[in-house]
Amino acid sequence: MEMIKGVGIGLRYQHFQEFIEHKPDVPWLEVHTENFLNKHSTSSKYLATIRQNYQISAHCVGMSLGSADVTCPVREQHLQKINKTLDWLQPSLVSDHLSWSACDGVHYLPDLLPIPYTEEAFDVVTQNINRSQDILQRQILVENPSSYLGFVDSTITEWDFLADVSQVTGCGLLLDVNNIFVSAHNHNFDAIAYLNSLPADAVKEIHLAGYSIDTIEGKEVYIDTHGQRVYGGVWQLYEQAIERFGAVPTLIEWDTDVPELSVLLEEKSKAEAIMAKVLNRQLIF
Amino acid sequence: MIKPSPATKLADMQRNFISDCLSGKLTKDNTLMVDDIDTRVISAQGLMGIYQNSAIANITHSLSLTYPVIEKLVGDDFFRATCRQFIREVWPTSANMDDYGEEFSAFLAEFEHVKHLAYLADVARLEWAFHQSSLADNANITDWSTLAQVTDILQLQFVLAPSHRLISSAYPVDEIWQVNQDNALADIEVDFSHQHDETNNSTFLALIRPELKTVIVPITLGEFEFLQCCENEETFEQAMISASSKQADFSVDDSLKKFIELAIIIGFKGND
Repeated sequence: MEMIKGVGIGLRYQHFQEFIEHKPDVPWLEVHTENFLNKHSTSSKYLATIRQNYQISAHCVGMSLGSADVTCPVREQHLQKINKTLDWLQPSLVSDHLSWSACDGVHYLPDLLPIPYTEEAFDVVTQNINRSQDILQRQILVENPSSYLGFVDSTITEWDFLADVSQVTGCGLLLDVNNIFVSAHNHNFDAIAYLNSLPADAVKEIHLAGYSIDTIEGKEVYIDTHGQRVYGGVWQLYEQAIERFGAVPTLIEWDTDVPELSVLLEEKSKAEAIMAKVLNRQLIF
Repeated sequence: MIKPSPATKLADMQRNFISDCLSGKLTKDNTLMVDDIDTRVISAQGLMGIYQNSAIANITHSLSLTYPVIEKLVGDDFFRATCRQFIREVWPTSANMDDYGEEFSAFLAEFEHVKHLAYLADVARLEWAFHQSSLADNANITDWSTLAQVTDILQLQFVLAPSHRLISSAYPVDEIWQVNQDNALADIEVDFSHQHDETNNSTFLALIRPELKTVIVPITLGEFEFLQCCENEETFEQAMISASSKQADFSVDDSLKKFIELAIIIGFKGND
């Protein structure tokens, strides 16, 4: 399968018609796999049409790679559904998050919840990734999370945890630059050191998005809302990421208060310009 | 049989995390996660509140996609507050959020604050049916010429499209649904002038997704009965008798033609 290149955007239902009628110049699209679990649904029919003209990256939110119960039925059923969707979607990349959503085999919270970075969690995550890759019969990419709290039991840094998970399971990494920026602010760590700690050849996709700022008990907290343009600090960090990881396919992600497609295309142009600038600079030196 | 997660530290933490987010019991003095998280800068309640708000917003968003007419009828703020209460009672159990929210209609029927809007629960039932119809499998339509080979037509069973749904109500829920669509004409009004007898339904609807989008088709009482019999795998003969007993002027020829044209009836199971 041909690998995706360049800067893509997240396909949202608000833009289905525009992609079908006008086929805007975008090299690839990312979809939330969970929105297309029923092959014959109205949404899937739109996607099947759009998919004829665009390469696809399938971004999942429900594999729950951090669920303590590695035989959790909610996870197992969901993996089977994802597998069926990937069969017809034939994406170039498949990804999910370093997070959990399901517990006790029956409960599911539709959010990307944080895990403590402990030996126990490492064991769980690697088992769950291996299981996912076995069922899907392919490498998955694991995205670094954004988080608002730290666990008192954590003994490993997030970047080391991710690097080791990638090494042990062979999974790739989806580097969400906005998430690093958000978490670096919330937990007061060095975002550049984070980038430099990740294995360069494991990073197969990058995400860019906007965040919002909330004040809780007098402390400014960055919230990963995906509802704004990409902030200046995130663009700067993205430049560093391209410097380190090269021309990694990059996605403009926007999930809440989805604007006109033209806004996403503007953000895409900015990312393309940064990528071109860094790559040109590397060519010169 | 579903077994709970093993009693590991991680499993316990995850159980407490979900409970703090969804139980509605998260307070300063009642935060199950208090011993697990770093609270030096922000309290446990403050930190878990971020996840609680995010989780509830995500689930509410999912409900608003399934129940856009209910949201329009009660307004954004009231819808969010209603969802919050519903979510406390009904936690998601599937990673496919399309599966979530079937109980919303029953919840609304009992929800004290909307008791005066007696039609609301039925509108929710229609929206759930619409949602399910739009997600259903495609229909494999039978070659109707093979019907001629059936020796005893009265004993065959008609097969309905996977995307069909049947709804009956004492209220004009289809009209309420229609006037709350984005493309509705501004001068259409729903007629609430006649008395609604909650024990005696007067609106009968079939939902079907012919191509991309589900459509709502008003049908008669007899037709509703006929299709329900088909759903229950009763024979053509039984379906006709039941339909005629409910509606004296039920025309099987007209109804059959209509349902085959609409691809609500897509085939048959013969006795041969």
